[in-house]
Amino acid sequence: MAGAESDSQFQFTGIKKYLNSYTLTGRMNCVLAAYGGIALLVLYSKLRSKKNPAVKAS
Amino acid sequence: MNENLFASFITPTMMGLPVVIIIIMLPSMMLTSSNRLLSNRFHTFQQWVVKMITKQMMSIHSPKGQTWCLMLVSLIIFIGSTNLLGLLPHTFTPTTQLSMNLGMAIPLWAGTVFLGFRHKMKSTLAHFLPQGTPIPLIPMLIIIETISLFIQPMALAVRLTANITAGHLLMHLIGGATLVLTSISPPTAMITFISILVLLTILEFAVALIQAYVFTLLVSLYLQIDNT
Repeated sequence: MAGAESDSQFQFTGIKKYLNSYTLTGRMNCVLAAYGGIALLVLYSKLRSKKNPAVKAS
Repeated sequence: MNENLFASFITPTMMGLPVVIIIIMLPSMMLTSSNRLLSNRFHTFQQWVVKMITKQMMSIHSPKGQTWCLMLVSLIIFIGSTNLLGLLPHTFTPTTQLSMNLGMAIPLWAGTVFLGFRHKMKSTLAHFLPQGTPIPLIPMLIIIETISLFIQPMALAVRLTANITAGHLLMHLIGGATLVLTSISPPTAMITFISILVLLTILEFAVALIQAYVFTLLVSLYLQIDNT
């Protein structure tokens, strides 16, 4: 296992600066983005099933 | 025979009252305390064991993690002594009950996780994604790491329960078989007794101590991961 990593040793630009699997911040943002994406998916499927009760009945 | 096999795992009651509480308290009642600096041999030996365990378990931790010293040392002594006492014939072993092991594993694991989120939120969240993961694998790996986090307390509890229960069952079965063989063929019974039962009992003594060590070490590792 590597020692204490520092974000400054990696120089990323653009979206990779916030979403990458090397820096601590990048990994944290990837995790939060993944959880947020799953939450949105769940919310979307719940709203869709509420909108179409006829589909549920059949 | 079938009914007797699992009879030792039923929580004991005396006149309708559960005596399991007294059984759980028994190991701590057997450990002495002294108000003298230099005490008798038994207490000195006990202190030496506790000191050795403390040094071994807490050397990997930062000063913040070492505040868990009392909890972890108590845990290993409790599980180790309970397992060893359970090897006595006709005794009840509390660590064969999944309820008890879950009762130990879940609060300890949850404590390490909540402390990690409270003191080092960034680092704890970043642990869900191993460093250097290729981009296409990121979502899948995060889900897998989350699932593995929630499996940790279950694995802790089930590992201890299964190891101790399996050992006791094996000893009961092979002991029963040896007893039956005594009337059929005494030389075979002697061979079974020496080669299998005695070695199995020695193994169970080792397993009793190793499982206590493994349980405590894993809790300690979860603490270290989430707090450094």
